[in-house]
Amino acid sequence: MLYRIKHVTHYQYDQPVTLCYNHAHLMPRDTYYQRCMESHINIKPYPISIHERTDYFGNKVCYFSLESKHSSLDISVDSRVCLDNERVDLGVDLDIGNTCRQALEKLRTSIDEEVFLAREFILCSPMIKPSDELRDYAAPFFQDNVSLLSAARELTRHIYNDFTYDPNSTTVATPLKEVLEKRRGVCQDFAHLAIGCLRSLGFPARYVSGYLETLPPPGTEKLAGSDASHAWFAVYSPGEGWFEFDPTNNNVPGDQHITTAWGRDYSDVTPVRGVIFEGGDSQVLTVSVDVQRLES
Amino acid sequence: MNQTPPRRVPWQLPRQQQQGQHQTQSQNAVSDELASAFAYPPLEGFNDEVYEDNGEQRDHWQYVLDSLETLGAEALTDRQQKASRILRDDGATYNLSATPGNRQTWSLDPVPLLIESEEWNGIESSLVERSELFDLVLQDIYGPRDLIRHGVIPPELIFSHAGFLRQCHGIKIPGEQQLILHNVDMVRDTDGQMCVIGDRTQAPSGAGYALENRTVMSRVLPSLFRDSHVHRLSLFFQALRLKLAALCPGDDIPHVVVLTPGAYSETYFEHTLLANYLGYPLVQGADLTVRGGQVWMKTLDGLKRVDVILRRLDDYFCDTVELRSDSQLGVPGLLDVVRCGQVVVANPLGSGVLEHPALLKYLPAIGKHFLGREPQLRSVETYWCGEDSDRQYVLDHFDEMIIKTTFRRSGDHSIFGSELSAEEKQDWMRRIETKPLNFVGQRYHLPSTAPNWSQQGLVSRPLVLRSFAVANSSSYTIMPGGLTRVGTGDNKMIISSQLGSTSKDTWVLASEPEKQVSLNRDNGLVVGSGADQGMHLPSRVAENLFWMGRYAERADASLRLLRTVFMQLNSIEPLSVSARDTLLYAVTQVSTTYPGFIGGTGPITLAIDKELLSVILDETRPGTVASNIQAMLVSSEEVKEMLSADTQRVLNDLRDALADLDGALRLGLTSAPEEALDPLVTTLLALAGLSHESLVRGTGWRFLEMGRTLEKSYQMTSLLQSTLVSDQSESDLATVLESVLLTFEMLVSYRRRYRSGVEITSSLQLLMIDKANPRSLLFQLTALKEHIDNLPDTSHALGMNPQGRCLLEAMTAVQLADLHEMGVCDQTSGSRVKLEQVLGKVQKLLGRTATLISDKYFDHRIEHQQLVPDRWEDE
Repeated sequence: MLYRIKHVTHYQYDQPVTLCYNHAHLMPRDTYYQRCMESHINIKPYPISIHERTDYFGNKVCYFSLESKHSSLDISVDSRVCLDNERVDLGVDLDIGNTCRQALEKLRTSIDEEVFLAREFILCSPMIKPSDELRDYAAPFFQDNVSLLSAARELTRHIYNDFTYDPNSTTVATPLKEVLEKRRGVCQDFAHLAIGCLRSLGFPARYVSGYLETLPPPGTEKLAGSDASHAWFAVYSPGEGWFEFDPTNNNVPGDQHITTAWGRDYSDVTPVRGVIFEGGDSQVLTVSVDVQRLES
Repeated sequence: MNQTPPRRVPWQLPRQQQQGQHQTQSQNAVSDELASAFAYPPLEGFNDEVYEDNGEQRDHWQYVLDSLETLGAEALTDRQQKASRILRDDGATYNLSATPGNRQTWSLDPVPLLIESEEWNGIESSLVERSELFDLVLQDIYGPRDLIRHGVIPPELIFSHAGFLRQCHGIKIPGEQQLILHNVDMVRDTDGQMCVIGDRTQAPSGAGYALENRTVMSRVLPSLFRDSHVHRLSLFFQALRLKLAALCPGDDIPHVVVLTPGAYSETYFEHTLLANYLGYPLVQGADLTVRGGQVWMKTLDGLKRVDVILRRLDDYFCDTVELRSDSQLGVPGLLDVVRCGQVVVANPLGSGVLEHPALLKYLPAIGKHFLGREPQLRSVETYWCGEDSDRQYVLDHFDEMIIKTTFRRSGDHSIFGSELSAEEKQDWMRRIETKPLNFVGQRYHLPSTAPNWSQQGLVSRPLVLRSFAVANSSSYTIMPGGLTRVGTGDNKMIISSQLGSTSKDTWVLASEPEKQVSLNRDNGLVVGSGADQGMHLPSRVAENLFWMGRYAERADASLRLLRTVFMQLNSIEPLSVSARDTLLYAVTQVSTTYPGFIGGTGPITLAIDKELLSVILDETRPGTVASNIQAMLVSSEEVKEMLSADTQRVLNDLRDALADLDGALRLGLTSAPEEALDPLVTTLLALAGLSHESLVRGTGWRFLEMGRTLEKSYQMTSLLQSTLVSDQSESDLATVLESVLLTFEMLVSYRRRYRSGVEITSSLQLLMIDKANPRSLLFQLTALKEHIDNLPDTSHALGMNPQGRCLLEAMTAVQLADLHEMGVCDQTSGSRVKLEQVLGKVQKLLGRTATLISDKYFDHRIEHQQLVPDRWEDE
């Protein structure tokens, strides 16, 4: 499966910005199932310095800075990503593997370095604080003898059913507690919610950002720029690896989920982060995303 | 440390003679007193530095204690006071909080801590080993993470620590070691062995205070110091300079700066001291900028590249782009420049993770992993609440524990379990249960004690020794001795500078005199002079010097006028209401404390005394004497490293004079208030004199003088405008003219010169255009012009620069002005129109000159903001 993804971010400033330093998590990383064939980043106005590196989590980051006056900033990323068809065919049986109790036991006792490193994802992270409320919400699905993955699938289903997708209900800074109370949010909130639940129960979970291929209603043309960036989560089962779930769509990511980056939460993989000098009091951000399937 | 910086004028130490006198006066009475004052018996249950286990006095203490006894109680107290005076004059403070007034003079006990050379060798080698081990841990945490992969330390230990900065993963600085500076706090355990109670690794402080202690001790007890053959500290600082130079891979002499959080950080004094001693510019975050992938210092001459940053700013605050997003203290974009290897920060960003106290628990295992053996130097028994069994142990033995948070934030103190009330204990236990990863319990070690000098004599006090290590080309250099901090009471088990403890110089006694090494003669490295960096002066420093000059002159102008006004108000000959009002009106105009006496119609009805008091004392009101002096002191703090000890002393006097004035005037204005102002006027004069006499005629000095002359000129025009422009009766005019001349202390010279009654034309001649009168407007304008012309101008523009042109126009206006025309009053408008025109023009030109100077040389800081506002970091 080959995709072409165009992701354009546009900032319009109130007043000219004289200086800015940014870093962007916009270029898809390689994963077990995915290979980023190419990815170009194009910034307007042209930045005085720009370079790429791999961050702590293995994501691609692009650093750039602008030192001349500008009133708007355009960041366009054009990527081609190849997804392994096997992933779909793998047909993981969620009922086998570690039970919840076994998973917890192995997390505590295993001396496998992969397990040691995964334990980082049980801890608090800047945007996700485990809590009793989160634990209480998810505990019923994670019975001792249930397999961890089927429990995670169940959690995904419940979030999908219990929560309303509502882009106007939250912002990037809405605390998890509020999302849980209001029962509304967007993909980022739902991913955070699931991660918070898993961590509250002692399981490693991480945040995955990326894209989802959307298909227009039958008989209509797909609109340009109508896609959006997306987010879901992954849970770690000791000795078995990381498994992804999408609570916004109530499914298991397959050949329509393209990964950009992962981290402990959104703050590790914020698409564009930076500091600007001047620029006035307000700025308008517009984002457009196109996910186009080139070949199956 | 023999190379006391030359800027300090040695105090007159009491000589033998004086002691002789003292002893002959009451020799017998004193000797009894002495015996008791210097009696220092071993204390049961304490491990004292002076005594062996069997109660025998250690040989190396004998000599020093005997010498102190010979010196006598009174003399020692005297030396102690001298020490505090020198410390105050050096500006040695420890800021307790971010408020300007809350500064505490660094405190030094005259009895040093003594360590024998032989014992020190052992301590030193174990400290080297410890620093090497910590360096390996640092390299591992930000590299392969083998300690975690192999299960040597629990993953949560690192992963949960706020000092572990994922952004710094993979960063390597040139050279063998990643850890450049490492401080270790130790106490002597009951068995006599040293035991580490904590490590400082991100922006370790204290070496400068140790240096200051040594400098002061060698001055107040010179012969004792000389005869004791104390190991010198200079090698440590030399090693530091060599290491910092080696961090820059190029051939050129690297540009090193010391990065400080600013004048109100706890250890700002030390930052200024180190910058001066090492010869590096002292900068704040806003003095640096990232351009084109490199770090630059904003200087008068534009941007100057920076290669190495010795930072005293905590990790978190260093870069708002990638680290804490709400900090204005750092340099946006710094981390990425570090990552690209274009600048080196020492200690490296992220090194704060090594301060995790739970690492102490795992050090033996870490030692075995890396070195194949446990480290020699032991650490305090530490229980990490992140481990179930440890947490249980801490909760079960709460009263025996010191509780610490794993990530130290400003204001955090260790908690003694035994000192808590039942309620507080519950509260702490609950906090531990909720966030166990964030707490450790450490078994309390009774520190050893040592003699401390108090009013009553020698008393024993607990102490902690902070040692200092700096990386060299292959290992670590340890400062011989270190900084000894002493608890202030018998029961005070916490020793923390934040809580107010005193300190000691630490003497490692050599068996024979050491050869002297001076920092300024090492390996041909050029020592940059802290005093004059020419055009490479950071813009902020120039700006603060400029404003220091301006505020000083503003305070001076108001003070002088007020002094005159008081004299006239209380003069034997009664002042007419109109003349009085003209003077009061001038007070408001000159000090700009509007509305003040201006605004009403008819004679002034405002409570005069109250308003005048407020113009002097009200710190919160802009334009008052107190507020100008405060503003001047604030500017002086920002340029502390540029100021001589004498200047520091005068600034201290100014602080004192201001406080005294408050006391003297609060009661009311009844008795000769003008005299109460004299000490302030004199001190300001002393400051101006110092600037003239003892500041190097560098660029910094020019900015200070530009501020002064600019303000003096302006104040003159302002006073003349508010007093002489309006028409008034002949007798009033005489009074007012006399007052103006009096204000500038020119009345006497006027009378001497003109031998007549005071008259306007000749007064204007003296005040405005007399080139021989240093207070005249033209004299000041000429001086200002000279400073402006002498600033190095690298713009290579042709002709005169705009600020020079502006001033030339002002000077010409003054010189072309017709004295008689200016003195004549226009009948229709009832004012001296010509005088008003000339003064107005000069004022406008001065204003423009100030703006031009500011635009050309000063950095106009702009606060930055996040592209995406994020608030989630607040943990």
